[in-house]
Amino acid sequence: MTIPSRKFLSLALSVLLFAALLFWMYNALAGSFGAIAENHYKKAAEAAMGSVPSKDEAIGGWIRRISGPSREFDLLFLKGFPEDEGGMKVFAPTPGLGDFFAHHGKDPDFARGIESAMYDEIYQPEQRFLLGGEERRVLFAPAHDGETGDVTGTAVFLFSPGGFDRFLFLLRGLFLLALVLFAAVFAVAGYSRDPITGYVILGLFTLVGVFVAYPLFEAVRLTFLQDGKFSLETWKSILTTRQYVTALKGSITLGAFTATASTMVGFLFAFVISRTKVRGKKFFSAMATLPIISPPFSLTLSIILLFGNNGLITKQILGLENFTIYGLGGLTLVQTMGMFPIAFLTMVGILEAIDSTLEDAALNLRATRWETFKTVTLPLSVPGLLSSWLLVFTNSLADFANPLILSGSFRVLSVESYMEVTGMNRLGHGAALSLLLLLPTLSAFLAQRYWVSRKSYVTVTGKPSGRMTELVSPGVKRILVTLMVLIVLFLFSLYGTIIAGCFVKNWGIDYTFSLANFREAFERGWRVLLDTLTLAGAATPIAGILAMIAALVLARKKFPCKRLLDMLILTPFALPGTLVGISYILAFNKAPLILVGTAAIIVINYVIRELPVGVEGGLASLKQIDPAIEEAASDLGADTPTVFRTIVLPLIRPAFISSLSYTFVRSMTAVSAVIFLISAKWYHLTVLIYNFSENLRFGLASVLATTLIVIVLLTFGLLRLVVRKNENLAKTMSI
Amino acid sequence: MENISKSVTLENVWKVFQDPQSGKDITAVEQADFVIAPGELVTLLGPSGCGKTTTLRMIAGFELPTRGRVLIGSEDITYLPPNRRDTAMVFQSYGLFPHMNVFDNVAYGLRLRKMPEKEISEKVMRFLGMVGLDTLAKRPPSRLSGGQQQRVALARSLIVEPAVLLLDEPLSNLDALLREQMRVEIRRIQKSLGITAAYVTHDRVEAMSLSDRIIVMNKGKIVQIGSPHQVYRDPASAFVAGFIGKVAFLPAEVAGVDEHCTVRVRGRTFTLPRFSPDLKAGDSALVMCRPESLTLLPPGEGILDGKVTTNVYLGHSIESFVSTEMGEILVQVDNPDARQIFAEGEPVSVSFIPELTKALPPEE
Repeated sequence: MTIPSRKFLSLALSVLLFAALLFWMYNALAGSFGAIAENHYKKAAEAAMGSVPSKDEAIGGWIRRISGPSREFDLLFLKGFPEDEGGMKVFAPTPGLGDFFAHHGKDPDFARGIESAMYDEIYQPEQRFLLGGEERRVLFAPAHDGETGDVTGTAVFLFSPGGFDRFLFLLRGLFLLALVLFAAVFAVAGYSRDPITGYVILGLFTLVGVFVAYPLFEAVRLTFLQDGKFSLETWKSILTTRQYVTALKGSITLGAFTATASTMVGFLFAFVISRTKVRGKKFFSAMATLPIISPPFSLTLSIILLFGNNGLITKQILGLENFTIYGLGGLTLVQTMGMFPIAFLTMVGILEAIDSTLEDAALNLRATRWETFKTVTLPLSVPGLLSSWLLVFTNSLADFANPLILSGSFRVLSVESYMEVTGMNRLGHGAALSLLLLLPTLSAFLAQRYWVSRKSYVTVTGKPSGRMTELVSPGVKRILVTLMVLIVLFLFSLYGTIIAGCFVKNWGIDYTFSLANFREAFERGWRVLLDTLTLAGAATPIAGILAMIAALVLARKKFPCKRLLDMLILTPFALPGTLVGISYILAFNKAPLILVGTAAIIVINYVIRELPVGVEGGLASLKQIDPAIEEAASDLGADTPTVFRTIVLPLIRPAFISSLSYTFVRSMTAVSAVIFLISAKWYHLTVLIYNFSENLRFGLASVLATTLIVIVLLTFGLLRLVVRKNENLAKTMSI
Repeated sequence: MENISKSVTLENVWKVFQDPQSGKDITAVEQADFVIAPGELVTLLGPSGCGKTTTLRMIAGFELPTRGRVLIGSEDITYLPPNRRDTAMVFQSYGLFPHMNVFDNVAYGLRLRKMPEKEISEKVMRFLGMVGLDTLAKRPPSRLSGGQQQRVALARSLIVEPAVLLLDEPLSNLDALLREQMRVEIRRIQKSLGITAAYVTHDRVEAMSLSDRIIVMNKGKIVQIGSPHQVYRDPASAFVAGFIGKVAFLPAEVAGVDEHCTVRVRGRTFTLPRFSPDLKAGDSALVMCRPESLTLLPPGEGILDGKVTTNVYLGHSIESFVSTEMGEILVQVDNPDARQIFAEGEPVSVSFIPELTKALPPEE
């Protein structure tokens, strides 16, 4: 036991030494900066005190003139000296300064200051004085008559040391940070048997600390601030203003509608695919997954083209006048089309995991098909139904792109918080609204994770029973399949409309074929497209590699506060994008990290937001790998980075590649957070689509949306190609 | 090959885990103190959960001792990470790299040591030849049988010429016949390379047939260290006796202790040459009888009367199961053709040969 304690001693000693060094540097820096500030004060005072007007009446105006514009100091002028015949006359421009002199005039520092001035010298006491509750540095300077040059009195400058103090505060913060960092790095180097892993863990902690915890903290803090002081004003206004309460209700209503509709559609597809014999299962399953990768605005756009005020169906075909797609109905439709794949994927997983021999057993016990469905299949799928409902509900709540265009007079929180920030410049309100959004999202997320998932009846038997009995009569099956076909057709028409929109001169008015949209869209959007590709391309490898490293560390290493790290990494998954966007502009438009307006903030935002999915994927695939494989490598002499490079990464390559493509696609199609972070220099394609749609340039919007769809499809096509090649690997892993 | 084997020393090593649920401390290994001599094969034997694998993993560096020191040769490696220790481990699940073929698996350790590719290929083929797999070098591990995978794992560990070879139940995933074959092969290769080895198993036959010495562990503690013959014939406790082989215990009372131990069993006195040093006159004791130290006599002539329930004919011997008032006792009758055989259902009397037994204190 002697070795650790000796290590501890050396650690403590070096940290102390480093602290002393830092303290010395801090003092030197603070001292020299103080000297500069003092010099600056003196210069200001000397410059001002060259030309005091002789007439008393002019003095008031003169004081206002020199102390007025910069607001760097307040000035109190004492004409004459106590020993003079006429005595000393006090010129105080404000009553506060008069009180100040009445209070402090007899202080020894004042006597000394006035005496120094009489001898034509500047005096600056160490002590600080209070003026109206604020600390001030005081400087006594001799004042010279503008004409004669004689000393006529004492000028008392009250400098506000705010800037200097802020600088010292920042300096202190920086040095403290340096100390903590030094101690941490030193401790890892000395204590850990695997310093590289130690540094990786430290790095991950720093990353999520700075880019997850800190912005969130800033957002929450701002909602409790008013004019720099603690206050509940923001929350009071949020919870009592009708507009906001309506938006909250709107979000929840829309969420509930969409979740219910999506779960029904998702269950329909999942049930037919997993429980009946029907041709084209692969096709239906692909169609039920496709919308999940459709870029934002694309479905909304085609809904507007079809059912909008100038819509093909509503106006041209049906000639409806008072119909509007904008609002709850249209939003539910568009969100359902976009989000039922979430429900479908959840349900299909669960239905396929339910052993169909259970249903056979029920049928064997003379239950009818309907009774079997009612008493076996449906009860067993309840956890899955709940789970998909909640998943869609949270997704609908966090959805920003669809309501942004399609909400009309209907209010939802995500759009409301965006309007508060960009329209009204009320960041506090915006932050509070998106935090409000977090409540239902988080509770649904937690309910899903800790309650529903526990009620799951899914039994893993290891071998799927191949044969299954038809669970529905041919008539019912026909009805179900017809429904599915209709939905798929509708989806097709939606995508078809966007593509058609590209080639039409002016949708709603002039349907002649034209390629003008392409020319204009790419003329105006080419640079933005390149920006978007660059940003997504930069984020992709970073997020992918980071996700795999984090997954390895979380799955295989033991270290303190592992739970905290896990939680912080996964948190952004549950956060609505608007909240992330707002908290980022709050946290990173001020020292010490000014990132707003740079490409970095957008890339970081992508990485942080897409990390959770990558990490989950990595964890899932690491779970299938025998830890003995990595231990064997390390036992043969490989250090942790080598194990990662030569063993782990090749083995979890499928997870790595899908994390890469997922990040790329999600970054290409991001809206909710990135809309807050873009700048003139770094723009995003989705925001441009939004701008075009807002200006009713649907043709241009269609071209860009189609471009995005093509990029997304290409990415996933490439992914399939690359991962296919790896399939023999999946087999070898299950030895 | 040059013999570079070294000794392994554990000095008062403890391992205490924290139970993740209750937060309570669980002592997995308690005061492990032993030396494995250079070139020796020592088996860590015990029931599952006795701490034998944890002990092995502390030598490999996958677990850190809570207290104590681990030395290889004279070097303290207690805090050294696994990749910087001169050990090589063969895992229960083999841990073959599924994305590499047999050749690359075996070459992995050499490539890390930056050996020139030409030497690597030569050496890998030599070692694959040693385990009889030189024709399968290009196969992925998934297309090998269990025994072949085992050989690859062994070759991969041996090729880096470690000072210490660690084997963690390497044969438990193989079928009985293959296990016997591999056992012989591992022993042959270990001896021919003169490598120091620690071998974890819960299979006593494996331990007996392989080891120079056996370390018997129970509930985190080492209960006996000795040669296979010692732990079989002269076990330290009733637990060791029972774990290491078939045994019957006859309750007895210690009548006196000098260089022999005199015990009374069911009113008759015997003098036993082997006995536990803890025993004093007046103590109650158990006489440990292996099947071959028991004999069958006509009813009334032995110590314990009973009836033969089953006879299992094994050729060189017969195993007779005798039901008595102390439960069923297994008696091994060697060379059956030269002896009186009691048929199933016949009454018999059981006796023992004192020279082949040992007096032990009863388990508390």
